[in-house]
Amino acid sequence: MIAPQKISLHIDGKLCEGDQGQTILEIARANKIDIPTLCYLKGLTPWGGCRMCIVEIEGSPKVAPSCATPAMDGSRIITKSDRLYQLRRATLELLFSERNHLCPMCQYNKGDCGLQHQGYMHGMDSIRYPYLYPALPVDVTGKYFGIDQNRCILCARCVRTCDEVEGVHTLDVSNRGIKNLIVVDMNQKFGESTSCTSCGACVANCPTGALFDKAAAFRGQLASCQQVMTTCTECPVGCGLKVYIKENRVVNVWGDPDSPVNRGHLCVKGRYQTWAEPRERVLTPLVRKNGKLEKATWDEAIAVIRKVAKSAKKTEKAMLVAPRVTNETAKIITIVSGKVDRVGMFVPANEAAFCTEPSYTADALQKLQDADAIIVIGAQPTRDNGVVAARIRTSVRQRGVKLLVFHAHKSDLDRFADICANIVSLEHKFWDQVAVVLKGAQRPAVVYGPNAMTSIGVTVMERLIKILEKNPSGREPLLIGLPISPNSVALAGAGIEAIEDVAPWLDAKPIKFLHIVASSAPDGGAEILQEKHVPELLRQIDCVVVQAAYTSRLAEAAHVVLPAAIWSEKSGTITNFEGRQLSLRPVLPMSGEAREDGAILETVFA
Amino acid sequence: MNKTPRKKTAKKSGRQPAVKATAQPAAPRKVRVATMWLSGCSGCHMSFLDLDERLVELVKLVDILHSPIVDVKEIPEVDVGIVEGCVNNNEQEHELQKLRSRCKVLIALGDCAVTGNIPSIRNRFALWDVLLRAYEQTESTKISCIPNDPVVPKLLPKARPLQEVVKVDLSIPGCPPDADIIWYALTELLAGRMPKWNEKNLRYD
Repeated sequence: MIAPQKISLHIDGKLCEGDQGQTILEIARANKIDIPTLCYLKGLTPWGGCRMCIVEIEGSPKVAPSCATPAMDGSRIITKSDRLYQLRRATLELLFSERNHLCPMCQYNKGDCGLQHQGYMHGMDSIRYPYLYPALPVDVTGKYFGIDQNRCILCARCVRTCDEVEGVHTLDVSNRGIKNLIVVDMNQKFGESTSCTSCGACVANCPTGALFDKAAAFRGQLASCQQVMTTCTECPVGCGLKVYIKENRVVNVWGDPDSPVNRGHLCVKGRYQTWAEPRERVLTPLVRKNGKLEKATWDEAIAVIRKVAKSAKKTEKAMLVAPRVTNETAKIITIVSGKVDRVGMFVPANEAAFCTEPSYTADALQKLQDADAIIVIGAQPTRDNGVVAARIRTSVRQRGVKLLVFHAHKSDLDRFADICANIVSLEHKFWDQVAVVLKGAQRPAVVYGPNAMTSIGVTVMERLIKILEKNPSGREPLLIGLPISPNSVALAGAGIEAIEDVAPWLDAKPIKFLHIVASSAPDGGAEILQEKHVPELLRQIDCVVVQAAYTSRLAEAAHVVLPAAIWSEKSGTITNFEGRQLSLRPVLPMSGEAREDGAILETVFA
Repeated sequence: MNKTPRKKTAKKSGRQPAVKATAQPAAPRKVRVATMWLSGCSGCHMSFLDLDERLVELVKLVDILHSPIVDVKEIPEVDVGIVEGCVNNNEQEHELQKLRSRCKVLIALGDCAVTGNIPSIRNRFALWDVLLRAYEQTESTKISCIPNDPVVPKLLPKARPLQEVVKVDLSIPGCPPDADIIWYALTELLAGRMPKWNEKNLRYD
């Protein structure tokens, strides 16, 4: 690529340098000259709708929106003048008069609201226009967030975020002029929307309180919260989280804009399922007495475990681990594994094969945005890795990337795909079509999940690679492995055996003592109960210890339950699918008597 | 509404030419102030009382001649009128216009007076629906009756901020405005200056 031509211009008398094609606002901000904005957001297409960023350009009688005006070499720009101040203030007064901006009743007041801030900056004590007091709808049918049209200023940051960052374009602007409204899909409600992925990026980017998180509403102003950066442990992408905390509770979770992985974007798992779901925690150790689980102290619980563990032989003891514990916990597990017969990590179907050949692709998400053809095999990024799905969707929508989806299940990605096929029924003719679509692809990327590890999946992969090799200028396709479990590949690398079928593993040798490290699994590790014969096999074991953060059917069936830490209390590192070591920072102190996984294991097997 | 105004001795003094307030300590006459409570929660008056010990200093400079906390029915001629709350019924409209005609500087104190705020939430509904909801459809209502006695003030179709009814000279937003902000505005006025609003002293919430 040719380096862009350098240009220089005077902004408020200061000589500023920038690149050809940059807007006035970009160059001004780079030179630490502040221009007020409302609809502008870095990374989104300029909208030029709010008219707060207007500037005077010498020689032009009109003012221009600096966010949407490319800077010209040698021009002289004025960003602060009485005329601009008055124009901006008049714009603000019109914005305030148009809808029902009642600051005292809005949760985004006291420093969270961009509109309010601009009002203060422009000394707006009252407005000179009559208030319109329109009757506007409020939609709170969404699971995690709602929209209050009364507070909307139609900056369309949500619309552009939904389109350009998440890539689903659920939101848009309807009607004309004063009747403009932000609509969901075809004027539906959030609760009825089929395209909304509940990623919550629109809420995070709303400058006013029009879009709001239901669970965070009236729980404290974000401006008064402490911010802690940590890593999401819900899937192997390992997105950076910016956690807002106040008085030892999570007020909200946004994406960390400085994270090299997600760059501020999150999916529903990190954004909401981490904190906005009502889940019941295990807060004290529980010990079964007379058939009932009763609260106990740590000492009592450990004593019960040791008593059983002592009476059982080493060959009668086993440990099951959820594929989400940290790398540090994995080290402790490998140390204590000498005291039990076998340690297994329960993973979803077909993921064990995935774990045996760990293949990290460095900077996979960045490279995915360079690809000109993306092939998804046996993975469901829309369900399991929302941020990867967002990158794929935006690539298709913005750059016209070819997308091929091979999967046995329907997914949200299908509607963006050029070719979408069921992995189990592929005909010969079909491959000719695939070859046509992939013709000319120079930087293809293959995103493969655990289901690509089946024999048919491998066949499909081989066929695709053959087709891509035939392309005259084609390079080797970039292979991006995308597991489902958060840390399974790294744990397998640390020496913990991945098992897909728990029942035969349990049944292999008679067990008297089983320690299950469910850790912070949202279902409390109960997924293993869904497997055939597992509930019966567990019932035959003398002592089942479940170390979990959340209550579940598995914990109810256990003899001893130990309270584990959740994502916001953990420390350590996890390895994401790109091979990055990402650190977890404890955001909150431990709830109740919960302890970290590693610490619990060290105490139990001391 | 149509109360006959009582003759007051204060009226006489009201006709005297008012002396402009100055910062000079030897001011010949105290600045006369009237405060008024329209559709609001009285929170702004409470915030005014939050001036605490500064009130002692304030009464050296001003006389509060009419206020919800002063038992005077008729509004005298004053220098400064301070109004909390928005205009919700015809009596309030009348009273506000009366105050405007008898004061030199009118201050809208608090969000209700400046923007309409909470009383203006009813503006999105038709007046009749508002009355029905309040007097007939309330869960606790046993005998429903929308008041129509001529003595009872009539609700206006829309609750309006002061500046849509009369000319307002100074707006102090806030719900309620902080005592410090009230103090700043009053001391600036007493010094003969108009308060300057910026991001440091403006609050809408």
